[in-house]
Formats: sequence, C-alpha cells, structure tokens
Amino acid sequence: MGRKKLKKSHGFGFTHALNYRCPICCIVPPYMLEKIAVNGSPTQREWAFETLNLSAQTRGRRMGLGNKVEAPQTGQKIRIIYDANNSQQLPGEIVRKEGDSPSGDEAVDEAYEATGATYDFFKEICDRNSIDNKGLRLDSTVHYGKDYENAFWNGSQMVYGDGDGELFNRFTKSVDVIGHELTHGVNQYEANLIYFGEAGANKESFSEVFGSLDKQRINKQTVDEADWLIGVGLFTDKVNGKGIRSMKAPGTAYDDPVLGKDPQPGHMKDIYTGIKDNGGVHINSGIPNRAFYLAAKEIGGYAWEKTGKIWYVSLCEKLDSKANIQRTSEVTIEVAGELYGQGSNEQKAVENAWKEVGVEQSSVNSEQRTVKS
Amino acid sequence: MLITLERSGGFAGISKVIEVDTAKLPQKQSEELSILLETANFFDLPAYFFANSNQCDGFQYTLIVKDKNKQNTVTVSESKIPDNLKPLMEWITCNGEIS
Repeated sequence: MGRKKLKKSHGFGFTHALNYRCPICCIVPPYMLEKIAVNGSPTQREWAFETLNLSAQTRGRRMGLGNKVEAPQTGQKIRIIYDANNSQQLPGEIVRKEGDSPSGDEAVDEAYEATGATYDFFKEICDRNSIDNKGLRLDSTVHYGKDYENAFWNGSQMVYGDGDGELFNRFTKSVDVIGHELTHGVNQYEANLIYFGEAGANKESFSEVFGSLDKQRINKQTVDEADWLIGVGLFTDKVNGKGIRSMKAPGTAYDDPVLGKDPQPGHMKDIYTGIKDNGGVHINSGIPNRAFYLAAKEIGGYAWEKTGKIWYVSLCEKLDSKANIQRTSEVTIEVAGELYGQGSNEQKAVENAWKEVGVEQSSVNSEQRTVKS
Repeated sequence: MLITLERSGGFAGISKVIEVDTAKLPQKQSEELSILLETANFFDLPAYFFANSNQCDGFQYTLIVKDKNKQNTVTVSESKIPDNLKPLMEWITCNGEIS
C-alpha cells in the first residue's frame, strides 16, 4: 500500500491539494508567517510552518522532481552506497552496488547491510516494496563531511557522517539509525507528516519505532528482551550515556558533563514548546515513543507483530500530514479496534499507553468503543 | 559585538552553542568578521530559512549578532544556508568559544 495525501485545510471547510496554488496561502506574506511560526498557538504555528514549507517545496519542486526521476523504479531490493570522501557533495562516488562483495570499509558495509535488513523488514513484515512501495532504489552516502556528527534523509537518499571521533562514532554503527532514516523516506510517501511541532515529533517517533523494530527483529528480541534504546554505539566511551534516546524511559539515555542531559519528556505535561529543533521534533518524540513501548509491553511478544502493525497501518492509511499527538492517539486506537476488535485487549493496551503518557480520549470516542464491543 | 551561534536538531538532537565577543578578539580577526558580516548582508537577512518537510534530521542553526546600533537573529536549516552566509558560520565555528 502507498499513497500521497497532499491536502491542506484552513479550518473552515475549505481544503485543497498541496500542489494547488491557493489564493489564501499566497496572500499571507512570508514575514507574517514567520512571526506566527514563532509566536502563535501550537495549531497556528504548525499551519504557518506548513505554509512556509509549501512555498519552499513549490520553489524547489523542479529540482526535487529532477533528482527523483534519476532513481529508477526497479521492483526489487537495489542498494547503492556512495562515498562523499569527506566532502558535502552528494551523492559522491559509487563504492558498492547491489550484489557486490563487502568493500572492507566499515561505514560502507554497515550502510549496505542495515539498508538491506530494513528493506527486508518492510517487505516481510509490512509487505512493502521499498520506500515508495514500488521498489525505489536505496541510495546511501557515507563519509559525508568532515567530523560530521550526524545522519539525515534529504528527500531522496540517506546520508551518514563519520562522527568527530571524540564524542561520536560513525553514524552507520547502529542499525536503528539506518532504519530511522529509511523510515523518513517511507513517511514521505505515506502520511508525509510535516517536520515541525507535534506532527514533526510524530514523524520522528515513527522513524524511532521502525528503526527499533528493525533492530529487535534482527536480534530476535521480544518486548521484554529489547533494550528500547536508540543509537547504541554512536557515543564514544568518553560519553556518559547508554544511547541517544530511550523509548522505554525518555530522558534517561545520557547525562554527560559536555553533552548535557537527555532532554526528552515522557509525558504531555513536560512537552517542549520552544522553537529549537523545528519545535522540538527530536525532543517531543519521547512522548509517542513511550506510548509505543507501553502498548507493545502490554500486548507482549514481538513488538513488530501487532503493535508495529497498528502503527504501520496508522501511518499508511489514516494519518494526515498535520496529525498532532492527540490525533495520532485517536488513529492508533481506532486502527487497533479495526485490526483486533473493538474493546479487544490490543485496543485497550493502546488506549492505556496513551493515557499513561498524558493523552486522554474524549468520552464520546470511549463510549462508542464500549457500545460496539 | 556579541555573536551567538546555536546548533540544534540533527539525529541526536543535542544542542551546541558557540559565542564570540569581538571585544576579546585581536584587531585582524575583528576585521575579518566585519567583512564576513558584510558579505552575508547579515543585518538585512530574513529571520527564517526553513527546509521543506522532506529534509529530516538536518541541523538547525540560530545565529544572533548584536552590535551597538543594530542586531539580527537568523534561524536556518542546514540545507538552506545561503551561500554568502556559509563563510561567516564557518568562521564562527572555528574561532568561537563553546559555551
């Protein structure tokens, strides 16, 4: 399954596809949108950010479409690993193609293997053929930049730095990083969540969920056996930390004199409302991350089988690009009911999980589920 | 002149702040900085350069420059840094103090 939901609503019954030149969106000038993006209410800020992005997307669309056309639709797993040779030019030089023997370069071979494992996860568990569900070629660049302590998805490919060697190792060292970045690609072809505020935190959380499930499946770990840590191995021995984030216990992954303390909240009462990090997308992902963990824990077994399925169907079938945390909770509860029955243990587990992180359901929704069961 | 460059976001989501106080700089470095500010046309730059939502896990930078009579704050996504702003940001990263 795959879809591209591209709609925007102004909240008074008027919606339009994102590729339509909306007279209302184009009236509000960018400087005003920027003010709203900083000073508005959470809803206003997400709308303003999305509109600013729409302008950026429209301007960049010709360039973006050109790049996408060059990646052929192949219908099977096709991986290409590039080496940027410590420059910031993408994609770089081809160093390993699908079917090639290991190169001997750790970053190249880790990116190759983990990309394959993530493709296999989506194919075997979700019946999904690559990022676009049509066999999109999987392009990854390693050795990006100098001492570059990061990895990212740029809309077309995955990119990995080597870390600074002091605090960070290379970013291909942890398989869930590759799963995380590839899932951003999947998101782009499905709900296409905007990368700001709560919708952006949801976007991050979906990447954490499927990156983590990828790792758990490789290690054949049940919910209880998994460590629920993201990015184990990215920090060097000099850092006081278990990993970059904890889905089980947000805010506890690291506490280091140089890097500071893990800032993630695990409950809505502690949600970050500032402007840093696109409105805290890597901070507030802690809340939906913990909800996933709690639901998986209550359901038990292997987390990808039922809880992962609920989250995957939610992402691909129901969520729209602006879904905030409340909306995501409603959708996952609804999907759990559709998959496993209204009032089922699975649905209750999902509802309990969201409640525990501070996301309550309206009494109307709860009553409807009670009546149906 | 006081300069603050904050990097947030990225996969790890860990913030880093670098500061420059030109009162503490040698004359030559102060002059270099003035040239780079002019090259960037910094005080006339808009407040935001956001990347589109398909760019995920890139860094976000907020650059604040406060001079006697003027100041500006610019927030920019990593993939959207204007070419004429890059030299200024690189200079600050190399010559500033991590706070």
